[in-house]
This record gives sequence, structure tokens and C-alpha cells, in this order.
Amino acid sequence: MPRLRTPADVNRLRGELQAAREGDRRCVSVCSGTGCLAYRSQDVVAAFEREIACQGLAEHVMLRRTGCYGFCERGPIVVIQPEGICYLGMREQDVEEVVSETLANGRTVTRLLYEDLESGQRIARMEDIPFYRHQQRLLLAANAAVDPRSIDDYIAAGGYAALAKALSAMRPEDVLREVTDSKLRGRGGGGFPTGRKWRTTRDAPDDVKYVVVNADEGDPGAYMDRSILEGNPHSVLEGLVLGAYAIGAHEGYVYVRQEYPLAVRNTLRALEQAREYGLLGRDILGSGFAFDVHVHRGAGAFVSGESSALMAAIEGKVGEPRPKYIHTAVKGLWDKPTCLNNVETWANVPLIVSGGAAWFCGMGTAESKGTKIFSLVGKVNNTGLVEVPMGMTLRQIVYDIGGGVPKGRGLKAVQTGGPSGGVIPASMLDLPVDFDALSEAGSMMGSGGLIVMDEDTCMVDTARYYVDFLAHESCGKCVPCREGLYQMLGILDRITAGEGRDGDVELLEEVCDLLEVAALCALGKTAPNPVRSTIRHFRDEYDAHILERRCPAGVCKNLIAYTIDREACLACGACAKNCPTGAITRAPYNDHYVIDQDKCTRCGCCVEVCPPKARAIVKVAPEAARQTL
Amino acid sequence: MVLTDAARDAWAAAGEPPADVVVIDDERAMCDGCRQVLEAEGLRALTAPDGSRGLALVERARPHVVIVDLKMPGMSGTDVVARLSELDPSIVSIVITGYASVDSAVESMKIGALDFLTKPFEPEQLIQSVRRGMELSEARARVREAPPAAPPAEEGLADASQVALRGLEVLGQYYRLGLRRRDFVDELGRLEAEARFHAETLGRIKEKEQVLVEVIEDLRVADEVIASHAYRKSHLLQVLLDVQARLNWLPRHVLKWISRRLKVPLASVYTVGSFYEALNLEPRGQHLVELCTGTACHVRGAPRLQAMVSSLLGIEPGQTDLQQLFTLKTVHCMGCCALAPVVKIDDRYYSNPTKTQLEGIVESCKQEREPSCQG
Repeated sequence: MPRLRTPADVNRLRGELQAAREGDRRCVSVCSGTGCLAYRSQDVVAAFEREIACQGLAEHVMLRRTGCYGFCERGPIVVIQPEGICYLGMREQDVEEVVSETLANGRTVTRLLYEDLESGQRIARMEDIPFYRHQQRLLLAANAAVDPRSIDDYIAAGGYAALAKALSAMRPEDVLREVTDSKLRGRGGGGFPTGRKWRTTRDAPDDVKYVVVNADEGDPGAYMDRSILEGNPHSVLEGLVLGAYAIGAHEGYVYVRQEYPLAVRNTLRALEQAREYGLLGRDILGSGFAFDVHVHRGAGAFVSGESSALMAAIEGKVGEPRPKYIHTAVKGLWDKPTCLNNVETWANVPLIVSGGAAWFCGMGTAESKGTKIFSLVGKVNNTGLVEVPMGMTLRQIVYDIGGGVPKGRGLKAVQTGGPSGGVIPASMLDLPVDFDALSEAGSMMGSGGLIVMDEDTCMVDTARYYVDFLAHESCGKCVPCREGLYQMLGILDRITAGEGRDGDVELLEEVCDLLEVAALCALGKTAPNPVRSTIRHFRDEYDAHILERRCPAGVCKNLIAYTIDREACLACGACAKNCPTGAITRAPYNDHYVIDQDKCTRCGCCVEVCPPKARAIVKVAPEAARQTL
Repeated sequence: MVLTDAARDAWAAAGEPPADVVVIDDERAMCDGCRQVLEAEGLRALTAPDGSRGLALVERARPHVVIVDLKMPGMSGTDVVARLSELDPSIVSIVITGYASVDSAVESMKIGALDFLTKPFEPEQLIQSVRRGMELSEARARVREAPPAAPPAEEGLADASQVALRGLEVLGQYYRLGLRRRDFVDELGRLEAEARFHAETLGRIKEKEQVLVEVIEDLRVADEVIASHAYRKSHLLQVLLDVQARLNWLPRHVLKWISRRLKVPLASVYTVGSFYEALNLEPRGQHLVELCTGTACHVRGAPRLQAMVSSLLGIEPGQTDLQQLFTLKTVHCMGCCALAPVVKIDDRYYSNPTKTQLEGIVESCKQEREPSCQG
């Protein structure tokens, strides 16, 4: 492939690629994101390859391995174009039928289609599935059309058009103005206006400047960035080149977690291809602009996602934050002005440059524009990645897209913003997705984790979970964070163990105040959020733990016990077989099982395997369990 | 007194008593002194006042050891030594020199002398030197007489048996000479102990050699990785990750090596190495079991899964079992929340497995190990 020497070359190549791909060829796209790979989608791909060759359809069918489709709960996902038929939960053994029915004869295989939860109707087309119908997939749409390992796919789908446009018709300040006018805000959590950040770095008095992609997505329960970087690395790269052009940087870094090996591989490959095509390197598209990118892997430290910590890590030091009297936008990597944005923010840039700020501003609320990707996870029917316009309510996301809470349980809260965010109770579900609205509710947008919690989730345990996470991830550089979190964890441990004292909640709030004021970096400053928001909205649960020694959700192990209802027990023995401690035995001369309370660790494995028609294992207060013996 | 068969034959042929040692020196006092010392030791010594007469005596007496003064009128000591090795390679020569000149000593060693003594020397030095010479000479004579020896044995024990055989041969000669049985037994015991000692030492050396080979291999890997990162200090973390990917963990010698090669203080290497969760400063089991503790997994029962996996493997998170088969780790979110709760074993993800499924997986991991052990 010859180098592309002018912006016009990009468009010509796109024309050629599109012309070559036209015709009546069907295209089978198999999701190869990490979620689907975990369901062995690579076996499905191999089976398709075999079957298509076997049935002599190789001439008429194109097979493509794409990035994540988002509906991870139901993977592996296969989409057949041009009809847009979407098969869910494909297994290797289903492939033969799909090839002979759909590919050879154009008939759909009904049993693999999506089944509507309420009406039971089968839905063939992807766009009609409720999970997709309510979304607005600006960034994620390309994941379905592009093989992440092929730059040609990206270019054919309209990629690098924004770069060609910018380098041919726009000055750097024009690009900057477009981004500023679009009111794009950082998608990594804080929601800082991207244009203003870029301007600061651009205006900083230094010739050497850097741009950095933050792909150190450490929030537990969030994987949007992973999905974009794995599924469409060129979109991030194009955004980065545009940013570098606007800011005047000639060197960029991608800092990506090594827990995401596929993202690392795909990014490295994308860089190589872009260099080969002349989209990176010296004199990009004949414009005289030079820029190149390095990949740097992180190694499992949550705090390294903080801007100054991340830059320290790139410099080869320990990824610890420093006091930011001077912003990293002015003095960052090697003390040079450095512009850091997360993956999703960079991926938005090409869309803004192509579509224009006015188009982008047409979506969203007054102060939050465009779309936001959430990873909708936890106790929700349709788990996966969803992209919605800003301003959509949480209720729409959880119920219309997510299909509500499984097993008919009631929704208790949703958690956003990861360890820096907070919980939003069911009563506030009509809150719109908007940076400011979420902050007011005591949570934050965060990078986009949206964890649904049902009645069986204990809010004190949730707070303890986040504090435990943060205490573990605190780098220990500043005392308030290191000791404050440790103390909070101690108090929460006590409460969840049923040893809470009167005044514990007030003590927690006091430590929260301290951390907010005194911690060095955002990790410590926002660490109180999970505790504060659970106290604010679920004070009654704290009181139940402390005053009544009771866990209303039945989660905290010291406050519950399991017993077997001898009437309901079918004596199938599934619980005994799955008990890790061997605490369950068959009652002598009786047709039911019993739990030895001394051996039971209250892990809950037995509840999980007890047949639904029996539901014989019940949670009770510990004293009640002793009495029944 | 030690006599080889060859020497006895020579004695019989020449009709003159054989000597163990011949001393060639122009100083009469030196010759007599040496002879007295050696005879007191039970060795038969003859003397000659110059090189040519000395050589003639050697030809007749066929001694084991010849002591030669370097500085003599007429034929010089070095010439005598050179001639001696032509005459009979089994003869061992020791030179005496008046001046402790390193050059002359080196010169004499080069032409084949075993040792050199600087005048004046203690009787004890002379005796020691001559004893060593006797042993060497006998060994040389045996090599010449014996059919071509078996190829040098590879293993320590084979070496030991060679030592023992040699010992027996020597003892056989003692025995023929009518030595007491007790001496024989004592000597045999001593030799056996010596052989065992040598075998053990050899074994230990081989073990150490093996460890050293492994260490060198580790360092070679580290070097390759460091070179691929162009020796950049800022790539320390990347180097550690890449080295770990190949070695499975980061041993101390590798960290030291990286510190030296990148010119980064060892303390900094350890700071980085211990800061990041993903780096292992302790050996890891053959199979890595990672439990996701992300929020999505937590609310969907990660603690329950953890209890099950822990009890099945018999280890808690962060531990490795005694067979070094499994290492159990917890990870903050692997980004496959739709599969929650999830456990990753090596490169495969398992979504909410039952106890029976887990048992099957663990069993197959164990099975996998067996053939590789035997093969």
C-alpha cells in the first residue's frame, strides 16, 4: 500500500475501497470483544470459516471479526448484513444451520433471535431490539462495521476523513475553536471542558508539548474505554492526531492497562498501519505536520489513572500523584505542557471535526453535549455497553434499555462514577444523565460505570466494598488518604460485622470531611463519595446494622444465617454437593437436608444452586437459626 | 619404598640399585644435604656434580624425581631438564635456584619442571616437593604402561570409581610388597572416603552449575528485553512487564541486573516492582487463577465464588499452593462485567461456574501437569 501523500489521497482510497466492497456480497460480523471471546466467539469464527468454505459460499460471503457490540450479556453476537439480522448467544454448533439457512437461502433462524421479555416475540433486526433501539450509538456504531485490525475497514467506513479535512482546510486554531464550540467535556470523570484544556496546553510557553490518551480504566465495573480501544483503535488515534495538530504537539502517548491485552495489541497494530499509510510520522498527508505515538502499559494501579500519577508512570517512575499547584496541562510529562484526555473523549474529536460543533451541540443538555457510553452492569437483565444522548434519564437506561431488574426483584439504587461516585436511590431515577445533575445528587458521571443494585444489595456493604478498594489502591503518599481510608474501613468493618456503635455514622462523616479537604489528589478527595451518598440516602440501613444488629438486605455474613425449610426441601442434594465447607448433610431418617451452623461460612453457594421450584434455603437472623436446631 | 615394575626391571638390567631421586648440583654440600634429608625419609637418593654426569646416572638409575640446580658450570639446568623429558617423560624434575628470580622459575616450569625451590630451603619443603613428584611420576608411568584409558567418565560417581580403581591399583602394589593388612584396610578406607568426598563435591558443583546456567539464561532474557527498549530508563515498568511475561515472575538477580543495565538504583526498581499489582516478586504457580472483584461481580456474588475457589484450591488470594501449581489472585475488574461473577484461569474466562465445573477445570489443570512431568 503506497503512502497517502495528500488529504485528497485519503478520500480517493476510500472511494476505491468502497467500490471494491460493493455488490451483493453478504457480510457476517462476529463480535470479538473480550466479553464475546470469553464466550468462545473465536470458535464461532473458525466454524464460520469452515462452513462457508464447505458450502461453497466463499465467493459471496465476507467474514469479519469486529469489536464489541455492547450486548455482552447475550454473546457471542453475530450480525449478518445487509439484512441486519442479529443472532445472539451463537454457539459453534449453530453455525452450520446459520450458513445453510441464512447465508445460502436468506431465511432467518428464529431460535437464535432476540426474544422480547414481555411479548415473547422474536426480533430479527439489531436496530429493533429494545436494547439498541433506545440508544444513540455515535461512537460504538463503528465497532460493528470495522475489523479493528484493518485500517482499510476504518477508512472505508469514513475514517480519517476528519483528519484529511483538518489538514487541508483548517488551521490548528480552527480545530481548537470547533472543539471548544462543541462544548465537549472530558469523559473520564470530571467533565472538564476539553476545549479549555487544549487551549491551556496550546498557550503554555514551551515548544515541546505532549498529548496523552488515558486508557488506564481502573474503575471497577466500567469497560467502555476498553471496548473502544479494542474495537476501533483508529478512531482514538485520529482524535489524538487532531488534538496534537490543534495543540502543536509532536509526540503522543497511549497509557493503557496491561489487564487489557487485546487493547494493547490492537493499538500497537493500528499505530503501525497508520505509520505505513503516512497518517503518522513526518509530514502527515503532505501538510508538514509531524507527530508520532508511543504505547505505555500500566500494571494494575488504580491511582495511576490520575493525571500527574499517569505522567510519572510514563516517565518510568512509580505512578504516584504529585501536588498540582501547576496543572499538568502546563507542566506535565517531563515538565512540558501535556494534554491528557481519556479514550472516549479523544474518540469524539473526529466526529466533531467532521460533523461540526453545531451538529454535536444538537445532542444533549444545556451544559453536557453529545453522547455518553455507560457500562450497564450489575443486577440488570441486559448487561452491556450502552451509548445514550446526554439528558436521557437513568430510568430509561435501566428499564427501557436494560430491561429492568432480573427475577422480579425491586431496584434499590444505581451506582455511578465508580469509587469516586456515589449511589443514586430508586426514588431519584428520573435524574437525567448530565455532569452537573449527577454531581448535585451526590454522585458523579465518572467514566461511565453504571451498576444496578437490587433489594439484595446491602448499602453498608457497598460502601465498605468501595472503601476497601480505595484503601488498597491508595498510594500512601499523603496521610489523610492513607490513614483516613484505613480508619473508615475499620469502622465499616465493625458495622458490617454487627459491632457498630452509636456515633459511628457521625464519625464516618467527620473523616469524610477531612479527606475532602486534605487529600492530595482526586482519589482521596472523592473517596468519601460512596460513604457519604449511602449515608445520605440509606441512613436507615446503617441504623439497622448498628442499632438492631440486622442487615436488611441479608448480605453481611455476621448478621445472617441460612437454614433449610424442611417442608420445601426436595432432598435433591445440590446444596450439599456445592457447599465448600461440607456444612450441609442429609438429616437422619428424614427427607431433607440440614445446615451445620458451626461449619457454615454463609457464602451463599447453596442458595444459588437450590432449584427455583423449591427455594428451600432461607436467610434468617443468626439467633433464629440456633433456635430451629 | 615404592617400586614400579619398570623400575625393578631397569634395576635388574643395569645391575645397580635403582634410585628414587637423583640430585644434580655442583655444590657438594647441597648434594649431601639433600641426600641425607631424603634418605631419612626412606627414599633412595643418588647425586651427581654436573649436568652430563647427572644425565648418565639418570639413564642408569631411572629415578622418579630429579632435582636440578639451574646454575651450573657446563651444561645448564634448563638444558638438563629439557633432556630429561626426552629421556623418559615419566621422570619429574624439580629445579633449585639460588636467586628467587621469577623469570628463571617461569622458564623452568615452561620446559617441564614440576616445582622450583629457592635456596636456602627447609628440609620439609624438599620432602613435600619430592613426594608430589613421586606421585606424579608414578601416575605418568602408569599411563604409559596401561592400555589407552577409558574415556573420561561424565558423572561424578564414575569419576569416583576411577579414583577408587587407581587407589586399588596402588594398594595392590603395597600388598605385593608385603605390607601389613591393617595398613591396607586403613588406606582403602581413606581412599574410599576421599572418592566419596570428590563425588559429592562434583555433584554440588554440577548443581551450582545448573543454577548458574538458569541465572545466566534469565539475565540473557532480561538483556534482550532491555535492548528492545533501547536502554531507556523511562521504560523501566515496560521492561519489568516484558521480562515477567517471559519468566513468569521477577527474581532478585534479574531486578539487580535490570538496575545495572538501565543505570537505575536497585531501590527504584524495587519501588516500581512492589507498587504495581501486576508484577510478581515471588514465584508464581503454573496456573494463574484470577478472581474478579469488580463492583459488578461483587453485587452478583464474587464473595461467594471466592469462598468456593479458595476452598477448592486450599489457598487464599495472594497465595500459591505448595506444588506451585496454582496462584490465586484477585483483580479489580477485568472488564467483562456481563459475565459476572467471573473467574479467569490462565487465559480463559469462566462465568459463574458451579463447584462441579470448577472441580473439573482444576482437575484438568492437574492432569495437564502430569504428562509434562514424565515427558
